[in-house]
Amino acid sequence: MDAAPGRSPRQAIPFLLPALVVLAALVLYPLVFSLIRSFFDASGEQFVGLRNYVDTFTDPRTLTAFRNNVIWVVVAPAAVTGIGLVLAVLTERIRWATAFRLVLFMPMAISLFASGIIFRLVYEEAPNQGVVNAVLVGVHDVFSPSSNYPGARPRDGYTATEAGFTANAPARAGDTIMVPLVGFSPQQVPAPALPASVPQAGQGELRGVVWLDVSVGGKAGRIDPTERGLPGVAVEAVRDGQVVARTTTGDDGRFTFPDLTRGEVVVRLPSSSFTLPFRGLTWLGPSLITPVIISSWIWIMTGFAITFIAAGLSAIPRDALEAARVDGATEWQVFRRVTIPLLSPVLLVVFVTLVINVLKIFELVFVIAPGSVQSEANVLALQMWQVSFGTGGDQGAGSALAVILFLLVAPAMLFNIRRFRRERS
Amino acid sequence: MRKQWIALLALTAAACSGGAAGTGSQEFKGQSVEVVGPWTGDEQKSFEKVMAAFTSKTGAEVKYTPAGDELPTVLQTRISGGTPPNVALVAQPGLVAQFARAGSLKPVNAEVEKAVTEHNAAVWKKFGSVDGKLYGFTFKTANKSAFWYSDKAFQQVGATPPATWDDLVKTSKAISETGLAAVAVGGADGWTLTDWFENVYLRTAGPDNYDKLAKHEIAWTDPTVRKALEELAKLWGDSTLIASGALQTEFPKSVINVFGEPPSAAMVFEADFVASVISTNTKAKVGQDAKFFPFPSVAGSKDAVVAGGDMAVQFKDDKVTTELMKFLASPESGQIWAELGGFLSPNKDIKPTAYPDDVTQDLAKRIVDAGDNVRFDMSDLAPAAFGGTKGAGEWKDLQDFLADPGNVDGIMQRLEADAAKAYGK
Amino acid sequence: MTLVADEVRIEVPVSGAPRRGVLSRLASRLGNGFVQLVLALVALFWLVPVFGLLIASLRDESANTASGWWTVFTKPTELTLANYAELVANRTVWQSFLNTFYIAVPATILVVVMAALASYALSWIEFPGREGLTVLVVGLLVMPIQVALIPVAKLFGAIGLFGTITGVVLFHVAFGLPFAIFLLRNFFTGIPRDLIEAARMDGATEWVIFKRVVLPVAKPAIASLTIFQFLWVWNDLLVALVFADQDSAPITVALRAQLRQFGTNIDTLATGAFLSMIVPLAVFLVFQKYFVQGVLAGSTK
Repeated sequence: MDAAPGRSPRQAIPFLLPALVVLAALVLYPLVFSLIRSFFDASGEQFVGLRNYVDTFTDPRTLTAFRNNVIWVVVAPAAVTGIGLVLAVLTERIRWATAFRLVLFMPMAISLFASGIIFRLVYEEAPNQGVVNAVLVGVHDVFSPSSNYPGARPRDGYTATEAGFTANAPARAGDTIMVPLVGFSPQQVPAPALPASVPQAGQGELRGVVWLDVSVGGKAGRIDPTERGLPGVAVEAVRDGQVVARTTTGDDGRFTFPDLTRGEVVVRLPSSSFTLPFRGLTWLGPSLITPVIISSWIWIMTGFAITFIAAGLSAIPRDALEAARVDGATEWQVFRRVTIPLLSPVLLVVFVTLVINVLKIFELVFVIAPGSVQSEANVLALQMWQVSFGTGGDQGAGSALAVILFLLVAPAMLFNIRRFRRERS
Repeated sequence: MRKQWIALLALTAAACSGGAAGTGSQEFKGQSVEVVGPWTGDEQKSFEKVMAAFTSKTGAEVKYTPAGDELPTVLQTRISGGTPPNVALVAQPGLVAQFARAGSLKPVNAEVEKAVTEHNAAVWKKFGSVDGKLYGFTFKTANKSAFWYSDKAFQQVGATPPATWDDLVKTSKAISETGLAAVAVGGADGWTLTDWFENVYLRTAGPDNYDKLAKHEIAWTDPTVRKALEELAKLWGDSTLIASGALQTEFPKSVINVFGEPPSAAMVFEADFVASVISTNTKAKVGQDAKFFPFPSVAGSKDAVVAGGDMAVQFKDDKVTTELMKFLASPESGQIWAELGGFLSPNKDIKPTAYPDDVTQDLAKRIVDAGDNVRFDMSDLAPAAFGGTKGAGEWKDLQDFLADPGNVDGIMQRLEADAAKAYGK
Repeated sequence: MTLVADEVRIEVPVSGAPRRGVLSRLASRLGNGFVQLVLALVALFWLVPVFGLLIASLRDESANTASGWWTVFTKPTELTLANYAELVANRTVWQSFLNTFYIAVPATILVVVMAALASYALSWIEFPGREGLTVLVVGLLVMPIQVALIPVAKLFGAIGLFGTITGVVLFHVAFGLPFAIFLLRNFFTGIPRDLIEAARMDGATEWVIFKRVVLPVAKPAIASLTIFQFLWVWNDLLVALVFADQDSAPITVALRAQLRQFGTNIDTLATGAFLSMIVPLAVFLVFQKYFVQGVLAGSTK
């Protein structure tokens, strides 16, 4: 032997060569190509030094992307690793462990594109399409009944306020209040409603009629032959900010305030009759879009974590656990002091892989975020795609982003390598 | 005399479209051509029938690759890889210009040019020319000035299709009184908003200014742009007129909102391909329940059409490629697809009766009749970073405008900034 | 996996205590019923989106866009197998299904083999620059695929691999190696040094040590790697779209070609997703039994 066993570079060569050749040609070369390309402008002809990098850091879209990637990195990998760990340990205790792992693995078997579509649908805003809002609306409607005339509003003469529609002009005793409503379909007027007509107000009272002022060829503000009154609309008389009387319209849409002798009142229609039905939240809007996409990612990637952690768990010799139990440790102590330390290499691999995956995240954001919120949901890989491709794409700036992405991950790699070096010595 | 030849060709094409034994010259038997296009699904099947006719006629085999939305990336990488297809169908003239200037495209040969001049209005030749040379022609076009409406909703208010923008606003108000939103806007897809803008701008500013803005020879802060945005705000700014959640509604959903059950809007603007969404996703019948009126004139403008299209270009100039280009430029090829539905062509020598129904015929006729007053979709003429990127550039700025139609100045400045960056390169 | 931790030192060789006994004792201690319930709820919750997708694949497109999939319980007659029938009858889809095997199987095998070899060298053969090389190789993990598209296209074009299955396979191998090496190297370094040293003392060559000592122990890690590498290649779209031509297109590309350009496509996507999903799930089931193999089999004398 010409060298100590295990200490010969020459022996390493046949092991390393195939992988290194492929990596060098297809991964390293494009990386170097990108690095060089990042110093040139869009056409690739003109050297511009660090200008692409400066532009990147000053572009607000890139800054949003950075911010979002930070949120992703802080929240998502830890969540998935944690959930995966808990579930992996719990599954050891049941007989149908394989079936369970299969269920969790299934999202990974579906392509990212299809998963993105699934979640687009799950979080769809319309409650008759998106399951999340369907549940929310269902629960909400159990507790608060819907309004009678959602979306209806007075044609004119009223101002919308928090409390409802308040009349612009005050009324006094003897007045007849005409309240034409629009924004509601004549077909939907409840069956008992009778044709509307103008009431006559007597002395010391206020009378009025609330009717649906919508008909083909009818005149605005006038009661046309086919127009009907709206029953069940609450009407309030307000004086100096206080409600002094309240009533509800009858089947013909008429209402009466019988004892209004003093001064003026302002008529108000409380909004409870007109509120639009609750339609759930705008999950795919600017504020919720990133949590939504993160939740989809968690659904997909937990299967990844649990698979590897289960593999790690299965490699733990039972004796270690036995020894600890025999020594009188509780399950929790066994978990904390034996299982986790023995699992820590696997956990680290899983965690670091997830961190890198999150830094590169692209398809999910591209598919789930509608165009209107893509800039809010933006992440670095998506920004790089948008900058590089398409006509007039700037491959120089895109390459700069790729290099930045690489530099962001390097520390994680170094940390991992160092840790192992320390452990082995 | 020519009519007889055309009839004969049409008969031959019809006979060949069933994939029967070739009756053509078989001059190119044994050779094959590669075509890359954006069409998938049913459209792919129709195009493959057109290609089958070519095979019957000339004996050359055709391999079609559907690239969908990734067409620019696929073409760019294939060019880099040294294996471009023979012919590609490209929807963005900007991309065509980019390829032409980079020397990847071959200009069409004299026979093809003659056919293009003969069968189309002069303006179509302009669309396909780069720096004075003709590189392509529009094979399939889309009429992007069609306003679709639900017959039922119009009858409910006794409305007739509006001919002017002010009429449109009035009709919209009448419809919204019945509780139905007047217009569904697919705001999540920024390109629908650019089509709205282009139609209004073409009518308020005229074709010459349209051309200038498309080349960025006038700025987006120009008063003509302001006028167009203000007209648009008359409709978009009234929240009772636009179906809610527009920014999260994708284009197909906006169509379903009008023609599905239960409807939440009465009209949807876009192009002829709305018909295919109607027939796939709803039970409404095109021509009976679903009709269209041409985009209304604004402030007394004349008839104008904004059109989109897929342009045939060639990367090689061997004989079989030229033969294919000739075939595509002739009315024969378009006629085959026209009969199958879902296809419009600017080729004025395709018989109107080839189109399968009245609505399609009408749409096609309007394009051909508009002659030189047709303008190509401006966002497709612009660099993709401005006019063709999800969540960025013109698409995002118009989405912001939809969210806040009062902010005309702010949006104009943003549009100008994005355009300057994209065109400036 | 490091098997040496702060508190517990493992002596090798040991044969494991029978798992059954341990499990039943654990179960009784923890209130097995409660755990079962929790896990059942989690599983159910996890399945909801997939279930929705399944229902969507069994409905006509107009039904899909008109109402949510849960309404189907009130209208069970709405369910139809038409979407599946249409896809299965499509010859291009079948061809692409086979193509996906031609791409995924070699890609997976090559990655596992090449990564195992390289990881062994990086863990147990000392040579100058080993640390730096490891950092470099594993650091390539962060390369996004989009960045490599054009340079590799040029390279493939020059050597005539553009548009071939071989080219696609090579690309996948290259991009699968960093993670594979990362995973396997971390696993290999956890094998007790004594095992390796003992074998070396006996005069075994590196190859023999690799084959007889390291590989058997590494089965769980290799199994997990196989599952995921296969699955990522099976589900890839972008690489195939760019580097494969019409004849060599895998199923992801073929399914994409079925989508309507301007309409909704839930029916096609859902059906395609289910048909495509079967294979990775099968691979999972086959390989995951290797996790259940536990302990180091006795390997020193």
